[in-house]
Amino acid sequence: MSAVEISNVTKTFGDVTAVDNLSLTVPEGSVYGFIGPNGSGKSTTMRMIANIFYADSGTIQVFGKARFGTRSDQIGYLPEERGVYRKMRVRALLEFYGELRGGRNVTAQVNSWLERLGLADRANDKVETFSKGMSQKVQFIATVIPEPKLLILDEPFTGLDPVSADSIRSAVLEMRKRGCTVILSTHDMNVAESLCDSIFMIFRGKKVLDGSLASIQASYGSDTIRVEVEGRAPLGDLPGIERVNDLGQVQELRMGQGCDPQQVLHALASRARIASFSVVKPSLHDIFVRIAGPEPQENNVA
Amino acid sequence: MRRVLLIAKRDYLQTVLSKAYIIGLVLVPILIGASFLATSLAFRGNAKDQHVAIIDRTGVAASAVIQAAEETSRRAVAKAPGGLNVMPHIVFEQVQPEADQTAQLLSLSDRIRRGELVLVLDISAGALAPGKEDPPVDLVRIYSNSSGVDQVGIAMQSAVNDGLRRVRLSQLGIDPARFPDILRDVPVVSMALVTKDPVSGQIGGAEKRNPLQAVLVPVFLTILLLMVVLLGAAPHLGAVAEDKMQRVFEMLLCSASSFELMMGKVVASLGTSLTSSIFYILGGLAALAGMALFGVAPLHLLPWFFVYLIAEVAMLSAWSVALGSACNTPQDAQSLAFLLILPVMIPMLMLTPVMAQPNGVLATTMSFIPPFTPMVMLLRQSMPGGVPWWEPWVGLIGMIAFAAAVIWAAARIFRIGILSQGKAPKIRELAQWVVRG
Repeated sequence: MSAVEISNVTKTFGDVTAVDNLSLTVPEGSVYGFIGPNGSGKSTTMRMIANIFYADSGTIQVFGKARFGTRSDQIGYLPEERGVYRKMRVRALLEFYGELRGGRNVTAQVNSWLERLGLADRANDKVETFSKGMSQKVQFIATVIPEPKLLILDEPFTGLDPVSADSIRSAVLEMRKRGCTVILSTHDMNVAESLCDSIFMIFRGKKVLDGSLASIQASYGSDTIRVEVEGRAPLGDLPGIERVNDLGQVQELRMGQGCDPQQVLHALASRARIASFSVVKPSLHDIFVRIAGPEPQENNVA
Repeated sequence: MRRVLLIAKRDYLQTVLSKAYIIGLVLVPILIGASFLATSLAFRGNAKDQHVAIIDRTGVAASAVIQAAEETSRRAVAKAPGGLNVMPHIVFEQVQPEADQTAQLLSLSDRIRRGELVLVLDISAGALAPGKEDPPVDLVRIYSNSSGVDQVGIAMQSAVNDGLRRVRLSQLGIDPARFPDILRDVPVVSMALVTKDPVSGQIGGAEKRNPLQAVLVPVFLTILLLMVVLLGAAPHLGAVAEDKMQRVFEMLLCSASSFELMMGKVVASLGTSLTSSIFYILGGLAALAGMALFGVAPLHLLPWFFVYLIAEVAMLSAWSVALGSACNTPQDAQSLAFLLILPVMIPMLMLTPVMAQPNGVLATTMSFIPPFTPMVMLLRQSMPGGVPWWEPWVGLIGMIAFAAAVIWAAARIFRIGILSQGKAPKIRELAQWVVRG
């Protein structure tokens, strides 16, 4: 069964079409990553799933039911621009959010989550005394109490230090194990690659990618050479290379039509000492840039 | 409904447990008490002699005026409760008129500026025969540095006329020993209407009207209503803008609809206003009981007071929440505060004309305009004579219909406002939000 079924949904704000005839299926129990440049329609889509915005046309079903105008205690939603009542004490705040979503035995759940995210000793402090990262942890807990069937996280890792990000990541994965469906948006392609079962990319309101990372990469083929060379050697004029993506220690070379990796290796060896050389599928980062870069070269509308 | 009550509980507790609310709640009775104390201290200040200079250009009036002033002062002191110095002791100084009137008045004015005198009374030669000019010419002038409505100034106006009448009577050959009887004031008593019991048919005697009940009670009730309505509704304007700025609403909107959010805040306002009003009313009743004045308490109006309170708070708090949601910062909200205060300030500005003619066209019409109904109708009901029985009920129906319309419109503004960004909308845009949703 699908957790979310979006069919031909369009949403406009004045003259701007934020989401254009979008269809998407999010399977139950999966972690679905939403990626796309700023202003592409990710948050609008998430808000429509959370029933905060209503679609102009098309339908959205959550666990098989259209929810126009009704609230559901089964959904936990962490918006991108999030805030909580800063004057409230953490425990009271979390119990309020939990009770608002019809939670039972909320206090025990609050205690458990506070312990887990290392906030138990600050439970009676006011939120306004917390750092940004700690506030984000509080907001995350407010989203998952009581545990929802569908968790929508709009850029949940933004602003978190690696330790805090790891604790949220492991919490998300554990909830997935217990059957929770997770939709999350991120600008961190490593997060999308490592955490998500499926990835959906939206660009200018339209769906441009949808599927597992492997299937998306497969559709682009092994058209990338990843090399490490000693010193700084010019790579842009290597035979058959269309584009060089300098990642610092590593360079990604995109091969054009008919490019022979052996010829590239031979040419490169004549210029510099090679530390590593591998022919790989393009990274999600590279695919993202190809679609949404300053001069999108491929508009692979799915 | 569960979500509305949860939101209301959170907002209510946050408000009533805040220092600002508690201080505000307690501050009002403290200020009232302080004003009584200040009045008492002011009377104590009357122990100091007040020097008045009289220029008597008639040559005969000064002593009569002084005598009249002293008698007035004695009578006032005799009637004052607790032996308060309700009248200052006036020391008169007769000044002979000089040829250069302007120079003499300048010299006396300088003495007032130096604090040696409180006022100068200048009685012209024509004051004993004022003639029949209408308006009368200025025959007696009081020069002072005060407002003219101070105790000495008012006492002198009465004393001057009393004194001049004494001189005129004397000139007519009437024995001065008879003056007190001739000039004695007769008390004019205000009475309520004669009533007839609708069941027994017995005609009841009219009761003496208590000035406290006739004026102070209506004014107190109306001001109390204004105060608790604003205490309950107004804070939402800035608080909602603040919550919007802190991005609080989007997380809540997944769990509760915008209408539930707004209604939660409206219910919280009702709770806050009821708490404040119960506190003040119980305090007021206790104070009246302590002063043995419990009888003047308008207990029969208390149910209407609470009905009006609920309707007005529902209207204004929904409106306040909607306006706050349209603003991006609490500072933006300040600029829209007049839209919130207007519905309660207009009746306050009309307090005097409504009290002058509580059943006149203006008062009656205003009491049927829903935003004004609570204050104007309550004021009219609490005045002696009251209003026809059906008027409050018709007003109530209008208020309920209007409150429902305001809540509906406010919900439409709130739903768009809490997620809107950019510059604050103009009134025209708010109207568009209401119409288009």
